[in-house]
Amino acid sequence: MQLKKESPSVPARLVNTGLITAAGRDTADCLKSLISGTPGISFARHLNSARRDEFPVGEVKYSNTELAEIAGVPAHWPRTALLSAVAVREVLSPFSGKLEGWRTGFFSANTVGGMDLTEQFYPQFLADNAGGDISRVKAHECGAVTELVAGHFGITGFVTTISTACSSSANSIMMAAQMIRAGILDIAVAGGADALSRFTLNGFNSLMILDREPCRPFDATRKGLNLGEGAGYVLLMSDSAAAATGAQTICTLSGYANANDAYHQTASSPDGKGNVLAMQQALQQAGLSPEAISYINLHGTGTANNDSSEGRAVSAVFGDRIPYASSTKAFTGHTLGAAGGVEAVFSALSIREQIVFPNLRWQNRMEEVDWEPATELVPNADIRHVLSNSFGFGGNCSSLIFSKQDS
Amino acid sequence: MNIYINGTGFIFPSGISTEPSMDLSGNTGHRYVSEPDYTGLIPPMQLRRMSKAIRMGVVAARACLTDNGQTAPDAISAGTAMGCLQDTEQFLKQLTLQQEQAVAPTAFIQSTHNTVAGQIALLLGCNGHNLTYVHRGHSFEHALINTALYLRERPEASVLAGGIDELTGSSLKLMQRAGVYESENHPGALAGEGAAFFLVRSQAQRRGALRISAIETFRAGTEKDAVSQTAAFLNRHPEAASPELLWTGINEQQPEITDGYSGIRSALFQSHALRGFKQFSGEYPTAVAIALGLLSRASASAIWPDEVFGTAGRPVNRITLINRYLDYYSCMYLESATNP
Repeated sequence: MQLKKESPSVPARLVNTGLITAAGRDTADCLKSLISGTPGISFARHLNSARRDEFPVGEVKYSNTELAEIAGVPAHWPRTALLSAVAVREVLSPFSGKLEGWRTGFFSANTVGGMDLTEQFYPQFLADNAGGDISRVKAHECGAVTELVAGHFGITGFVTTISTACSSSANSIMMAAQMIRAGILDIAVAGGADALSRFTLNGFNSLMILDREPCRPFDATRKGLNLGEGAGYVLLMSDSAAAATGAQTICTLSGYANANDAYHQTASSPDGKGNVLAMQQALQQAGLSPEAISYINLHGTGTANNDSSEGRAVSAVFGDRIPYASSTKAFTGHTLGAAGGVEAVFSALSIREQIVFPNLRWQNRMEEVDWEPATELVPNADIRHVLSNSFGFGGNCSSLIFSKQDS
Repeated sequence: MNIYINGTGFIFPSGISTEPSMDLSGNTGHRYVSEPDYTGLIPPMQLRRMSKAIRMGVVAARACLTDNGQTAPDAISAGTAMGCLQDTEQFLKQLTLQQEQAVAPTAFIQSTHNTVAGQIALLLGCNGHNLTYVHRGHSFEHALINTALYLRERPEASVLAGGIDELTGSSLKLMQRAGVYESENHPGALAGEGAAFFLVRSQAQRRGALRISAIETFRAGTEKDAVSQTAAFLNRHPEAASPELLWTGINEQQPEITDGYSGIRSALFQSHALRGFKQFSGEYPTAVAIALGLLSRASASAIWPDEVFGTAGRPVNRITLINRYLDYYSCMYLESATNP
């Protein structure tokens, strides 16, 4: 690959979305739920876990067989791959047959890979290391899940997988945008997927950050997060690819940044240093001052630690001019590796529909923060630039900025 | 745009970059790293909780920064196909044996794939860009590509880029069952593990910095396809067609296994011998990082041991590096920069 230093740096155009979450089976369905204030949080019906009646989750309302049917892929795939395929199918479908000859990339992210199958295989392997059906762990690796989906949709250009915990798919979108901006690629499918598993449900429970009730992001009395699952992808194009394929631009990806909190493996620093850096650097890249942001889609998991740090960080960056801000995780739960992609789609919808989504189940203002999230749907809002935050374990902080064209 | 390796640190089955023992006599079979004394490298309280993948990554990162003379990079970019296997298995074991009751969090926290890069950032106090690639046999190469993209936007910065993968009893067993690694009943590759980090900039900082001017990754299911894609790479980068050294991912202790390489050599590099590096690293998804470490070290020291490179001790300035892991291929073209 030859990186051209002098090529023009034009932001990538976001021309389509693909989405599946607990709140809906595709972009339109999820949008309906967001507008009507209908969350997808409930007790799991498909996940097999001793804890499934203890913790409400944002589970996608389809079995693996049903997902496979929707996507047109084999049902024996890991659930992460099935979710990914459903959303990728949606994001590509208006362009099927039109992408020949363009330099295309697939940037996917996940954290669990094929763990839903691995955790079924493992007990037999533990008892006897010659035991268990080895085909179940063929797609264990995060990258294997990506390759299943890329192979099915015939994407053979640049294919990669990023895994940085809860910021994973924000980072895959960032890399895709960088490569289009650098003139290396014309078209990219970027985002991520993650499925619920016993591994993650128990993992998060061991950290004692799960709420036994539907989560309440940014509320002073919040008790933790609800795990979720799903997939969110955006289709990014260069100017020339968009013009040639007739794709309509929903918004551009005008800024992106990744920074590291370097404070603790799982907790954010109290003043959210990494969060501040990510937001500031994304604004700098987009050439925007904080006042230009119309809406912040918060990471807002509902944990004591995240919301407190993120709240302080937003105050530090925006001063006393806080834009509309809400966490959509009250609708979908925390979709881990998919969160950045899912919320990128919500950010694009915010621009397309000129709307702010409500932060559900909020009642009490946090002491450490002197602003409140938007608790009601705001239609006809003047949305020009949306900032989307995704902050993950390992201090990994990502911020993306989406801009209405001609803003 | 070129990127320059201005420092390296690595740990692999033949030792550690500061003291590698390239003597392979008596080495047979699958190879594990022999871990150094970590005193002074990793604080004991932290060491206690670190699994092997993390220890390897941290020690390689520290050795790299010592080699380069820097205290902290601006950004970190890591590649790992398997992540922290030991921790993943540890957590799965707990879940299974305790039937999802009272499981401890440590193994879960450390099982996330970006733990190595995150831990390094913590230890160095590095607040910069920090990404982890988990794309099978391309994980390390993609971390390098990400590094190049980052440096394109920030030409003055430095990036600590690396590749890490560990071998465990379970991963070895599963890969044997899958027919990838050699077992009693089945021929296959000899396994390995390791970690390598590089201090990368958009300029050479020192004499003997290693310049990477081309890096491409592709998949090829057949030898024919591998040849045609490599030919396409050479078309785009003609200087890579006639290097002084063609180095590949063959294991010279398994000379009968040249699948995926011999076709490329006979079609595109007839005047070159088929030399390789995996007798030093073993086979694993990010092993090519060890090759880059050995090349970088040789370039910086101007010492090119014949038992490693086969050039009778003669310095090498132009190298084409071709690696294969399963059907994941990468091609790189490297030059030893003479002057900073």
